[in-house]
Amino acid sequence: MKTMIHTIFQRYWNPYVVLLIAGLLSALYFGLTSTVWAVTGEFTRLGGDLLLLFGVDISGWEYFDMVHLKGTTWSRPDGWIVWGMFIGALMMVLLSNNFKIRLPQQKRRYVQGLVGGIIAGFGARLALGCNLAAFFTGVPQFSIHSWIFIVATGIGTFFGAKLTKMRWWKGRPSLTRGAAKPSKIKKNVIQPYIGGAIAIVYIGLMIYFFATGQHLLGLGALFGLAFGILIERGQICFTSAFRDLFLVGRSVMAKAIIAGMAISSIVTIIVISIYGLTPITQIAAPSTFVGGVLFGLGIVMASGCETGMMYRLMEGQVLFLPVFAGNIIGATFLAYAWDHLGVYNVLVKSGTKVNLIDTIGPVGAILATLAMLGVLYALTIYGEKRYHRNLTMKRGVKEHAS
Amino acid sequence: MQAKKEADFTLDLRGESCPYPVIYTLEALEGMNNGELLQVITDCPGSFRNVPEEALKHGYKFAQEPVKNGQEYLFYIYA
Repeated sequence: MKTMIHTIFQRYWNPYVVLLIAGLLSALYFGLTSTVWAVTGEFTRLGGDLLLLFGVDISGWEYFDMVHLKGTTWSRPDGWIVWGMFIGALMMVLLSNNFKIRLPQQKRRYVQGLVGGIIAGFGARLALGCNLAAFFTGVPQFSIHSWIFIVATGIGTFFGAKLTKMRWWKGRPSLTRGAAKPSKIKKNVIQPYIGGAIAIVYIGLMIYFFATGQHLLGLGALFGLAFGILIERGQICFTSAFRDLFLVGRSVMAKAIIAGMAISSIVTIIVISIYGLTPITQIAAPSTFVGGVLFGLGIVMASGCETGMMYRLMEGQVLFLPVFAGNIIGATFLAYAWDHLGVYNVLVKSGTKVNLIDTIGPVGAILATLAMLGVLYALTIYGEKRYHRNLTMKRGVKEHAS
Repeated sequence: MQAKKEADFTLDLRGESCPYPVIYTLEALEGMNNGELLQVITDCPGSFRNVPEEALKHGYKFAQEPVKNGQEYLFYIYA
């Protein structure tokens, strides 16, 4: 029992296992609700809610009609996905006694977080989804826009990684001579009790939703909670998937995400075939590409995407407050620019919705998707190998020179 | 506990979020002389995993097991 508690709360879970479960759950959520695990659509609606609160007339804004801005965030299943994720992550952080107010030593991070957050929020909504709806849960819907988005995100991340390496951007760490003392540990451990209390209240709320027949809200709250628990315990970071490959030749997150998408695609095609559901297809247009590049750049600047920032904020990483604010500002600005600044006419209008199931049939769709994921996996391994080969060469040169 | 060598340098990364702990750690190690000992204090949960894994992958050795100290971790790595 003690070892089980230790494994669940004291250690982080294997990202492969976490993303395989997340892939399965998102396919199941689609089967139950015909919607996918997504967050930025709700961020846009939150922006709309805020504008309404300040008395701005948004009745003519096309984008808000498109994302169905209705009711409040508490009466929307997508809203409960978001709050469920926050609460699930917070619960796990508290239960593992890992909450701490973490203030960046480098003050420039706040500006980087806000600016990166705005760019990422804007880009994600321009492409009609972030790393979830246009990536992790977009590929298993066989919507071709997610393929474009992945390539574009990779390109944006590449430039983001270059920026991150610059001296003026990353700043100087506080390297001091000799040993320093670590922080004092508090004797009283109260965080797990607070976590437990939150869990009990939240379970009560889910029971209330189901008991009163609000099944969609209940499912949103339940799956949101599960996704929040999973991303926190697995420390799932979509930002790092591409970025760390470029920065330090680290590939584990990219490979785990690809594996998760593969399992999710297989389960989703089965669900679609059995229940005759219509896959969720988004428009593939120049906006998908531009949005993806901006998104990739923005998440690296901000050190986290719209999903990753959620559990980081719950861990007490204060940096992610400006990132969250930036995400909502960026998404809301896109909603404004959509029709008021002609974004739709220039970048979106020429596009079409393309779904692989319609164009090459279900068997072709799953085979093509698995082949594409296979290529991504191979590229990831190649990128890692190349990094370490270059490193060995650089070291060799250094040793000969000295 | 094994006899501890006093750290030559300390990298205090408390408050910094990923990827900066990994970048800073690898850079600090690169700038030090062979055999010198670096102490890393970090509290970014992502770094609990990626700092030790990447330090090992980049060919550095640990002087001792990582120490969990409340909400932070201490790493002792030889340059």
